[in-house]
Amino acid sequence: MEKQALAGVKVVDFGWALAGSLTGKHLADQGAQVVRVESSTRPDRTRFDRTVSMSSTTNPDDKPWFTHFNTSKYGMALNLKHPRAREVVDRLFRWADVVNANFSPGTLNKLGFGYEYSKSIKPDIIMAESGVYGQTGPLAGQRGVDGTGAALSGYLDLTGWPDRGPVGSNLPYGDIVLPSFTAIAIVAALDYKRRTGEGQYIDASMIEVCTHQISPALLDWEANRHLQTRNGNRIAYAAPHGVFPCQGDDRWCAITVFTDGEWEAFCHAIGDPPWTKEPRFATLNSRKENEDSLEELVSKWTKQHSAEEVMQIMQAVGVPAGVVQTVQDLLEHDPQLKEREFLVPLKHPVMGVFGHPTPPYKLLKTKAQVRTSPCLGEHTEYVCTQLLGMSDEEFAELWRDGVFR
Amino acid sequence: MADSLLGGFRALDLTDEKGFVCGKILAALGVEVIKVERPGGDPARGIPPFLHNTPDPEKSLYWFAFNTDKQSITLNLQVNQGQDLFRKLVEKVDFVLESFAAGYMNSLGLGYEALKLVNPRIIMTSITPFGQKGPYAQYKGSDLIASAMGGVLLTTGDPDRPPVREGLDSIYFHAGAAAALGTVIAHYHREISGEGQQVDVSLQETTASRTSTNLVIWEFDKRLLKRSGNVRVLGARSFQWIWQCKDGYVHWQYIRGQVGAATNRALSKWIDEDGLENPLNKVTNWEEFDPAAISREELDAHQESIARLFLNYAKKELTEEGLKREIDITPIDCPADVLESHQLKARDYWVDLEHPESGSTLTYPKYFFLSNQTENFVKRRAPLIGEHNEDIYVKEMGLSSTESTTFKKTGVI
Repeated sequence: MEKQALAGVKVVDFGWALAGSLTGKHLADQGAQVVRVESSTRPDRTRFDRTVSMSSTTNPDDKPWFTHFNTSKYGMALNLKHPRAREVVDRLFRWADVVNANFSPGTLNKLGFGYEYSKSIKPDIIMAESGVYGQTGPLAGQRGVDGTGAALSGYLDLTGWPDRGPVGSNLPYGDIVLPSFTAIAIVAALDYKRRTGEGQYIDASMIEVCTHQISPALLDWEANRHLQTRNGNRIAYAAPHGVFPCQGDDRWCAITVFTDGEWEAFCHAIGDPPWTKEPRFATLNSRKENEDSLEELVSKWTKQHSAEEVMQIMQAVGVPAGVVQTVQDLLEHDPQLKEREFLVPLKHPVMGVFGHPTPPYKLLKTKAQVRTSPCLGEHTEYVCTQLLGMSDEEFAELWRDGVFR
Repeated sequence: MADSLLGGFRALDLTDEKGFVCGKILAALGVEVIKVERPGGDPARGIPPFLHNTPDPEKSLYWFAFNTDKQSITLNLQVNQGQDLFRKLVEKVDFVLESFAAGYMNSLGLGYEALKLVNPRIIMTSITPFGQKGPYAQYKGSDLIASAMGGVLLTTGDPDRPPVREGLDSIYFHAGAAAALGTVIAHYHREISGEGQQVDVSLQETTASRTSTNLVIWEFDKRLLKRSGNVRVLGARSFQWIWQCKDGYVHWQYIRGQVGAATNRALSKWIDEDGLENPLNKVTNWEEFDPAAISREELDAHQESIARLFLNYAKKELTEEGLKREIDITPIDCPADVLESHQLKARDYWVDLEHPESGSTLTYPKYFFLSNQTENFVKRRAPLIGEHNEDIYVKEMGLSSTESTTFKKTGVI
C-alpha cells in the first residue's frame, strides 16, 4: 500500500453525529489510525436514524448515513460510564496523539476524561472539542444543531427571496464545514508538536467558523450602515446571475455572467436575438437595473433546451453555467465526479456494496485510501490487544465486566 | 507574544475570490502569506460592497474580509522576467496557493512539475471549479455554478420557486476550508518525509460532499429529496425548522426521545399556560416520544399549535423566554444582530483592525478556533496593492533600486 500523509498518527475519536464524526474521517481517510469509541448504551444519532428503508430499529450497523461520516476508522465499543472504563481510557490516552470529541461542553470533564486528565496521562496530547457554541460563554450549555449554527451565524437570514422569509438547504452546512476547521487545527497542532514537543487544547465553534462566511455583510453594516438581506440568486456584480428553467420536470440551469466578454459570448451563444442589442442590457449597470426583464428573456431561451444543452452551449463559449443537478445526476450522470472518484464503491458487511465518499481535496502524491465504516464494536478486541497491548486475560475480564458495551 | 500553530512558514497566494479563504486561514495560523497580484491589483478588488460606498480597488470590503493578515506584491506572470522572479520567490516559500483555470500555470511554465524542480518541498494547492483533470476541467464556474453542479442548490429554497443560493459565497468559504485542510495535511507529510505535492481542490466536489443524506436515500431507495422551504427532512420525516414570529424568524426543531424530552415538555407547558389549543398534551411520555413515529396529521397539528405560539412573541422575547424555560429557540440573526451577539462578545470573538489610509477602524472576526498554547488570530487589515513590494523585492531578494525601477516601468512588478 502507498504511504499516506497521516500515517503513524493515532487518534481516539469520541466524535459523534455529523460534526464530530467527520473530523475523524478527515484524518482516517489520509492514513491516521482512528479509533472511533462508541457505546450501545448511548448510540450515535446516525446509528438509529432510519433514513433509508433497509435500516432497522434494532441493528446499529445498517445505516449508510453513519458510514458516510465514519469511513476508514476502527470501531470500539466502550461504556464511558462504567466504573472500570478508566482502565481502558487511560490506555487509549497513553497510546494517542490526538483526542477528538464533540460532547456537550463539560461532559468529558464530568466523566473524568477532560483535557487536564488526559494531559496527566499523556503530557503532549492534542485534544480538540468542537460544538455549536464553543466550550465557554453564556450559551455554552445550550443544545444546538446544524440549524442553530445557521441561524446564529447569519447564513439563514441571507438565504432566500427578498419578498419571503429565510430558507435554508435541506443539507447541512455548519455540520460539514466545522469539522474541516477542527481537522485543520488538529493537523496544524500535530506539526506544532513535532517542532516544539508541546500538546494543545482546541475549542472550535460552528457559529464562530460560519460567521466568517458573512464577513462582507458585517463590514457593509459597520462601514456603510447597509444591512444586506435575502436577494434570491442575484449578486451586485454579475447579470444575468441566476437559475433558469429548462425542459423537463423541475430542471434548471444556473448561468452567471460576470464580465463584458462573457456577456458578449452569452449573446452570441443564444443567437444574438435583437433584445440583446438594446441599450437597457448594454452594460452591467443597465442589466442590473433591468434584471427582471433580462431574466424573463433568458428564461424564454433556456426553456427551449434541456439543462444539459444550456450548460454545454454556454461552457463551449466560456460562460460559467451548470445544471442544477440532483443526487441521481451526481451518482449516475456526472463524468467529472466519476473521474475524481467522488464516491468509491466499497463492500460493507451488512449493507453490501455502495458508494463511500472520498475527500474533495485530493493529495495527488499521497492518495486518500477509504475503507468502509466499522460495525459497532467491530474492532474492540483488536484495539485492546493489538494497539493498546492488553493481555488476552485482562481483555476477557473487562469484557465479562461489561465495560465494552 | 505567543506562538501561532504554523508560525515560520510562508506561502505565495495567487488566488482570486474562489480561493481567498484558504490563504486567510493559513495566515491566521501564522503562515506569512504573500498575495501575488497582477500590476494594478487583483480584479477581485472590484467586488462590492465598498468602504463608504466608494468603488475603488483599495476599498472593496469583500477583499478586506478575506485577505486579512496577507502581504501584497505585484508581479506580471505573463512575461519572462516576471516568471523568473516568481521562480525565485518559490525557492523561498513553503506553499503556493492558486485558483487559475486548470492548466494555466502550466502554460506559463509555472505548473507543479516546473515548481518542483525549483523547490522539491513545495506544496501547490490548486482550487478550481471542477478540478485539475477530467471532462469538465476546463468548464468555468462560480459559487452559484458549484452549488448547482454539486447537488446542493436543488435542495435550497421554496418548492414553488426556482432553487435559491445560500448565504453569501458559502461554497467558496467551504472550499477554502477544504483547501486549507488538504494543504496542512500535505504540509504535515512534507515536514516528515521532505516530499512536497500538489493538492487538487474542486468547488463542485466540495459542495457534493455535503449531500450524503440525500445520496444514500437515492442509492438505497431511489427517492429524490428537493427543496422544501421552511421544512427540513430529517430521517424518514420532514419537520419545520424555520418559524415566523412577530418581528422576524426563529429556529426550533423537534428532537426525539431522551435528548429532546425536557425541551419538548417545556414547550407544551408554555402552550398550555398561554391558553392555546394544545395537541401536544396527548403525548404521555416525552422520553419515548418520536416525532417521526406519530401520524402526519398529528405532527401537522403539533406544528400548527407551535406556530401559533411563536407568532404571538417577538424574536427577543422568544429567545429570552426560551432560555428561561430551557427550550432551544434560536433567533435567526441578521448581520447587525451577529455583531451584537453576547455569546461571541463573551468569547472575545471580535478584533478591531485599523485602516489608517482611510482613517477607519473596522471590526472583524478574530479567529477560526481557540487553542490554549498558541494564538491563531487575525491581526492585520488586508494589504494595499503592492504594499510589500519594497520589503520583498528590495530588502529580501536584493533587487537594486535601478532594477526595481526598471521592473516597475516595464510593468513586470
